[in-house]
Amino acid sequence: MSRSFVGGVRSTRAHLGLFGLALACVASLPSCGGDSSPGLDTSRPPRVSLTGSIPQRLSEYNLLAYDGDGQFRYNDRVVPYDLNTPLFTDYALKDRAIYVPDGSSATYTDEGVFDFPVGSVLIKSFSVAADLRTPDVDVTLVETRLLIRYEDGWRAFPYVWDAAQREAIYSPAGEVRAVPFIDADGVSQVANYLIPQRNQCLSCHERRVDGVTLTMPIGPKARNLNRDYDYGVDGGVQNQLTRLAAEGLLSGLPSLAEVDAAYAFAGIEANGVGSLTGAELDDAARSYLDVNCAHCHNPNGVQGVTSQLFLNYDNTDDFRLGLCKRPGSAGSGTGGFTFDILPGNPDESILIFRVETEEVGAMMPLLGRSLQHRHGAELLRAWVAEMPANDCSAAP
Amino acid sequence: MPTHTHAIRRGSPARSQLALSTLTLLAFTVVGCGGGGGRFDTNNCRDFDSVNCVEIEGGDSAALQAAVNSLEDDTTLILGPGVFVLDNQVTIRNADGVSLVGQGIEETTLSFSTAAAQINGVDVVGDDFLVQDLTVLDAPKDGIRVENSDGVTFRRIRATWTEEGLSTNGAYGIYPVKSRNVLVEDSFAENASDAGLYVGQCINVVVRRNTVRGNVAGLEIENTEYADVYENHAEDNTGGIVVFDLPGNPIVGRDVRLHDNTIIRNNRRNFAPGGTVAQIPAGTGTFVMASRRVEVVDNEYTDNKAFDIAIVSGLIIADDPAVWELETASLVGDWDDLGLLAGATQGTITNFRSENIVISGNSHSQSMPTTNYGLSPDFAALFTFLYGNMHSDNIIYDGIGESMFDAVVAANNSNDNHICAGGNTDGTFANINALSQLSAPPTAPILQIADAPFAPYDCTAVTGGALVLPEL
Repeated sequence: MSRSFVGGVRSTRAHLGLFGLALACVASLPSCGGDSSPGLDTSRPPRVSLTGSIPQRLSEYNLLAYDGDGQFRYNDRVVPYDLNTPLFTDYALKDRAIYVPDGSSATYTDEGVFDFPVGSVLIKSFSVAADLRTPDVDVTLVETRLLIRYEDGWRAFPYVWDAAQREAIYSPAGEVRAVPFIDADGVSQVANYLIPQRNQCLSCHERRVDGVTLTMPIGPKARNLNRDYDYGVDGGVQNQLTRLAAEGLLSGLPSLAEVDAAYAFAGIEANGVGSLTGAELDDAARSYLDVNCAHCHNPNGVQGVTSQLFLNYDNTDDFRLGLCKRPGSAGSGTGGFTFDILPGNPDESILIFRVETEEVGAMMPLLGRSLQHRHGAELLRAWVAEMPANDCSAAP
Repeated sequence: MPTHTHAIRRGSPARSQLALSTLTLLAFTVVGCGGGGGRFDTNNCRDFDSVNCVEIEGGDSAALQAAVNSLEDDTTLILGPGVFVLDNQVTIRNADGVSLVGQGIEETTLSFSTAAAQINGVDVVGDDFLVQDLTVLDAPKDGIRVENSDGVTFRRIRATWTEEGLSTNGAYGIYPVKSRNVLVEDSFAENASDAGLYVGQCINVVVRRNTVRGNVAGLEIENTEYADVYENHAEDNTGGIVVFDLPGNPIVGRDVRLHDNTIIRNNRRNFAPGGTVAQIPAGTGTFVMASRRVEVVDNEYTDNKAFDIAIVSGLIIADDPAVWELETASLVGDWDDLGLLAGATQGTITNFRSENIVISGNSHSQSMPTTNYGLSPDFAALFTFLYGNMHSDNIIYDGIGESMFDAVVAANNSNDNHICAGGNTDGTFANINALSQLSAPPTAPILQIADAPFAPYDCTAVTGGALVLPEL
């Protein structure tokens, strides 16, 4: 029996349940799902071939369909999820899902990304809303990125949705698109939204381990997945890890009491940075840096290792975290300041400058941001301000 | 648009066959080489011995990006004459043996003038990479960046920005970093707001016959071991050709030779937007900082207003030795024969010291009387104090780390750092005793020695055997 998930483009969604439609499908009708869900046949498993040519249409994978109005429908063993602290990409709305082939499962690990079996797919769709004050109205689905687990590691495949919002086409060359929108404060903005080239995916997804360069997912770590998700009529609100395990996509999950949870960033979006206590502030900031920066700024990062600035959550070295640390070759990225973090003084900390500026050549992260992430910048600013003041005249 | 990749057929096809295949494929802007290629005058698929080869019509940016993002190992991309206007970088990943070849720096240009994204021009991770015969113009960040790759060749390329002297220009023009076996030759790097030609954290490097002009730093060799840098021309930069280590990088620089270069009129106002490079005084010919086993020999220095050659400790830019501590377990490359100073922390060494350096056989000529020490307030104050409006001594040594200093009697000075200027026939030498001078206000005199062999700095060779230099 097949089952499908339906998700909206907002991070908290109401699932409408097209369960009955899936039941009605039969194998002899490959277009089953028809008008409401072009390209998804839930009577058949997803088609992820690791050999042969790259599918030119996203629908060929039979992983998902989009109804053109903010709703995704996913095939069996394709489970949607959210992250506690997501990566900011110019206020794009994201829908994520994991597919693990029948008969196999990802292996749980406390540290880092789960070990996914060959044939697994991580699916991430990016949409933009015309007005972020009403994020579920007038939404344009822009792209869906697949990370597919091959025998020798992960490979990235970007698909760009057509204007009719019915099909996404393999688009390895990427695109830079000016996207006007109204932000959460009602201000008109234009993002230079980057649809990355296939090779550019590696700018964020690359790790160097024991001299070998690997492509790695970023988000699906235990602490970032450990949260509730509303599966709608298909189970209601459940913990995502519990659900993945129950669906057979994840094995080795310990008791949830033993699993750490990253700070849930939505709390800041709802209540502001001022609502955080000191310990929460540190946890929230380190969680934010972990997801938004540590894919490069970690000891195994390819591009970020040059800086010797390590922003991964488990880094315990304050100097490598940037406190009283001078940058290596930051170029225009210093903003004229001396230290990556001048504790207690966000106005003179390079890290704060770089996440706040919108100046090309100085912005961090390197890719995916052309606008300031207001709540993220506020969080980091408060975090640095909260540190015991230190003029860095002595070694840390 | 499909991209056709075919194995190159060796040998020349019959002329009519070539014409036919060209006609057949006219509908495609990307043309495979199965028919022999050869549409372009200077470089074409027939010239390159690679498994896959694609010829791309000049200006067809979409075809270029499609080809680049569908690469397989051992692929040559031949770019026709024209300007490729690009809004995103040319990213090469997941493939070794890639060659990106234009029709010449005046014929084929990758232009990023209208790019709004924060990108490099050409951004490469892949072994055995070649870029040749093209110009990269106005990249938002770095012109051509090649990282973590083994076997890298830059040949007859140019990385430049349209407007000179702008702090908003990209940082580095030609930028191999964390790579091995790197050859940069017959190329041009211009108008970078940091370094024009920047070799960073590399092992086995040859840099020859290049021209660097209009940059803040012309040519930099940073945290790099085994580098032969010769017959380059550095003109009109803030600083000409420099060798240094920065703190915190896991390769300790060593065995670097600069020879037979011309370093001329590097007096450009420092227009760096920030960073370490912003401290380079305008008028710098060469400095060697936090480096060891370096030879600066047989170069021609002309009209660099501040100084021709300076040998300085890394403490000049970062005065806390702890910043320079490196865990030995994390080091890459050869370092354990260097006798590096231990750090205060167990299991660390430091690399701030400049030592075992030979300056010899360079020519120095100076026809410009006035100085312009640029943006670095410490240096400006010190040099103004020491030299007023006079040109400084040709060879400046900061003396940091010496156990004995005596401004009057040369023989009462130590040469613990084994600084050798004994083989010179030209130029003057000064130990400016910088550490005490920089504890402002400067008061102590300097040790000036006008005539070679500059005892006690009269040695003529590095210790530990001759430099090891690669042949690539």
